[in-house]
Parts: sequence; structure tokens; C-alpha cells
Amino acid sequence: METMLQVNGVAKRYGTGKQQVQAVKQVTFSIRRGETFGLIGESGCGKSTLGKIIIGLEPPTAGEVLYRGEPLWQKNRFQRQKPGDIQIVFQDPQSSLDPRMTIRDIICEPLLALPAHERKEKGSEERLHNLIKRVGLKVEQLSRYPHEFSGGQRQRIAIARALITDPQFVVLDEPTSALDVSVQAQVLNLLKELKRERNLTYLFISHNMAVIRYMCDRMAVMYKGEIVEQGVTADIFRQSAHPYTASLLSSLPSLFQQKGG
Amino acid sequence: MLLEISDLSVEFRLLQDKVKALHQVSLSIDRGEIVGVVGESGSGKSVTALSVLGLLDKNATITGGAIRFKGTDVLRLSPRERQALRGKEIGMVFQEPMTALNPTMRIGAQLAEVFRLHRGVSRKEAYALAVNSLAEVHIRDPELVARKYPFELSGGMRQRVVIALAMAAPPELLIADEPTTALDVTIQAEILKLMKELAESRGTAIMLITHDLGVVAQLCQRVVVMYAGEVVETGKTRHVLAAPVHPYTRALIGALPDLADPDQPLQAIAGEVPDLRHRPAGCIFASRCAAANEQCRSQHPVLEMVSAERETHQAACWVR
Repeated sequence: METMLQVNGVAKRYGTGKQQVQAVKQVTFSIRRGETFGLIGESGCGKSTLGKIIIGLEPPTAGEVLYRGEPLWQKNRFQRQKPGDIQIVFQDPQSSLDPRMTIRDIICEPLLALPAHERKEKGSEERLHNLIKRVGLKVEQLSRYPHEFSGGQRQRIAIARALITDPQFVVLDEPTSALDVSVQAQVLNLLKELKRERNLTYLFISHNMAVIRYMCDRMAVMYKGEIVEQGVTADIFRQSAHPYTASLLSSLPSLFQQKGG
Repeated sequence: MLLEISDLSVEFRLLQDKVKALHQVSLSIDRGEIVGVVGESGSGKSVTALSVLGLLDKNATITGGAIRFKGTDVLRLSPRERQALRGKEIGMVFQEPMTALNPTMRIGAQLAEVFRLHRGVSRKEAYALAVNSLAEVHIRDPELVARKYPFELSGGMRQRVVIALAMAAPPELLIADEPTTALDVTIQAEILKLMKELAESRGTAIMLITHDLGVVAQLCQRVVVMYAGEVVETGKTRHVLAAPVHPYTRALIGALPDLADPDQPLQAIAGEVPDLRHRPAGCIFASRCAAANEQCRSQHPVLEMVSAERETHQAACWVR
């Protein structure tokens, strides 16, 4: 299968001298076309930093990131081969949507990065209406503002914004962590369906083992800036090789192992 | 019964409307018992806790019902008497430990203050008790931590300090509102273990407010499931989780990713929580319930015993 994204020995250092923090150390993994690759770890392990490096928000301090064989970063400059091909959905839809923009403007904003002819084609009214309906919102809601929507609806808006450019690769950075479980279920199911329909490739960043298990084909476990284990999700859940993964798994409160009562 | 809430109703005044946040909520907690109150955002679980503590916002009014703590109706107490109850007999732990700690005071001094207040001991004794209480919440090197400021500690350590503070009196009831939600899972597991251990060793009852059924399963003997300001199901944790009766409880469990069966699509709950400015005449869950019938839409169900052999398991549902 074709390799979509190749991360080779990527490291990220913040600050200098005594203040220096090594957020990501020597991370290597690859994501194949059409798969969902999970990145799991606890707060501060570097998983979101890695996500930022991949979508072009932060340059790595060492290593290379290849997207479909071409390097994404050259000397701290992000090389965008095809605008809108890589998109992201952030954790908190409260802060990732501009409160002063209408839903229509929010969803269509990524199109501004596209060349004129593509912008026209992808920004057609018909495509926009189909997309908004597909993510479970109504066409009438396009003229509304973010504060009029619930958390789950806002995340649907963020998903529509990511998909308007017809990306091939989407980074999902804790997309359901701010949502209630019943709403989380709606959004996860939607993401799964969209992936199948559009043949998307996902990098799914999460701290929740159960969500990773549900969503991901393969996964990597990050701990203190390093990947301590990676492989097929089912295998890792059956038998984890690293003690940290095992402790993550055993910490997960399950519904039917209760001791009380 | 240590705590008995009966038919509690709470309203919030907004600019023009009134939001009925709680509608006839009843629940009780026995001495030494750990009871989980579970629900999604807006279910009223935190409002219930704040009502017990007497810490509701100014725009909230208790419109009916009673809250009895050790037989006394706390709603009839003067503000001063309620203040005396808080901290001493009812301890509290909130989600974000940083907001519960004074950022300008060293940990040891904060704890010592509480011991002086509740136990009337000398400064020196209070400080010794403070250091000792840090050891009891399994903080390694308590002398060192006592000299630190809150910002110097990690989230998990801070929550341990907050628990030490809440348990200082020691209270008979600990109200913990999402105590582990801001923490990583491995830390969450340690904090839950600590709370259970402290409850057992000191006979403290815990009202644990959470959105996480997994946490309830791990810690609580009984569970109260809330939806849109009402109790929809309650009973022993093992009964409710293994054989849920109310469609909402079932849906909530079905919405959780199942590690054992990851290919099973998650059951999302269609629709949204009804507008609490206008409560429906019938069942509060009817608009999102697949099994709802005419009776559900017109008559409000009350909590009823589910079966004779499962004592205390109750659900408010017409179609079960």
C-alpha cells in the first residue's frame, strides 16, 4: 500500500539553554493511504506538537516529514505542494471557530488558499449545501454564528471546514475530547463514515484508549516525547509490549470490572 | 441516612426566562457509602451538589423539596450555620485543583490553616498535622511539598493536596465534582484508588459527580443517573450497569466504545436535550427515545421499583 506520510527521526525542541524542552525526540512512523493511524499519550507527551509539525504550524528541529514522498519542511519553511490537501480538526470547537464569522464564512475560508479555478469549483453552492447536510447540519444554519451551536454541532462545522477543500489527509487532534459521550458517538461515527466515502487517511490524536481502539487500524504510543510502541491496534490491545502501554490499558476504567457493590 | 435529598427543584433566572435546572430530584447517601451521580452536561448533577453545599449562584432559587443532612433540613439553616457545615462536615473537591488552592500560599500553610480552624490546635501542631496529611494522600517527601507553592506541583499532586484539604476536618460527607476529569488516565486511576481508600479507612461517604460511567463502575456502590435535571434511574452499580432499564441509561452505555467489540458501531443518541425553559408534560427523554409512545409524551413517569429481587433499583419509565 502507498505510504501517505512518512515521519523520519523528527524532533522538536522549544526554548534555549536552561529553559530548553525536548517536546518530541527522534520520532519515526509512517501512515499508509486509507488507514487511520492513532497517536496516543497523556498530556505533555508531544502528540499535539507532532500534529502541528505535520500540518505546518511548527517546524521540526530535526528529522524530516515526507508527504507522498516529498518533504513538507525545508529549512523551517513549509512546502505546500497542493493547498488544502492536508487538513486538521482541533479539540476545542469553542476556540477553533472565529465567533465573529458566520458558519458559511468559516467553512469556506480554507478555499482562499486554493488557486482561483479550484476555489470556484470547490466553493460552489451545491457542494457547500451537500457538505453541510452530510455532516448533519441544515442549509439555513449557514448564516448563523458559532455561539448559536452546541459543542457537537460546532465540531461538525469544524469537520465541514476541513473537508471543503477535498483533502486526502486529515489530522484529528482530540476531536471528541470536549464532547459528551452520546455526542462523541455521533461525531466518531460520522468521521468513520466520511473516511469510507471519501477514501480519507486520518492521523487520530487522542488520550482515550477506547476511542483509539474504535477508530484506528494502527497506532503508536507516545511517552515523554518518544514512541515507545507501535503496531496494529488490535495486537497492541491484545498484548502490549511496553509497560507504559500496559499501565495505560489497566488504568482505563471499564464498566464491568467493578469491585464495589 | 446521612444525606437525604427529596423532591428538590431548582430554577435559574435568566434575562427573561426561567430555566428549570432540577425537577423533583430525590437521592440519598448512607454513612460510609460511595454514590455516583452520573449524567452529561446540563443534566443537573453539579447543580444538585451545589444545592447541598449551599453554593448556588445568586440567580438560582430552590423552588421546592428538602435537603436533610443528619436529619436537619439544611435549607432552613442560617448562612452562618451552613458555612459551619461546609468544610467541617461536608468536604468538597472540584474538577480543577488550581482554583481550589490559594496560589500565593505554600501548601503546608494552606493545610495548617484548615487544621487550626477545624481542630483548634496550635500553629505548630497544625503544621505537623498538615505534613502528616500529605503523607496520608501518598505524597512522597511531604516536608518538601509542604514548602512548595501550588504552581510548582503537577495536576495530580495538586488534586492530592485538595483531597488532603477536604479530608482535614475529617468530614462525614465528601462531595467530589468531576475530581479526575482534568487528569491523565494513569493519574486518574491513582486518585480514585486514594479516594476509595480514604473513604474506607475513615468511614467518609462520597457523592461522586462524574460524566464517566467507567469511573462509577470502579468506585461506586450505588449510582444515580440524571438526565435534563431529573433522576431517571438509580440502583446498585452492578445492577444498573449490567441490566440498565431506562432507555437513556442504555443509550449512554451503548455510546461508549467497547474494547471487547471495536467493530460494533457506536449507538449515538439522536436529537438533543429539550429546552429546559419549557419542560415537556410527559417523559423528559421522550423526544429522543425510540420506544416512546403516547403515554410517554403526555404523562410524566415517576421512579418505580424495577423488580422485586433487585431492591433499590428504580427507573422512571413507562415502557420498560
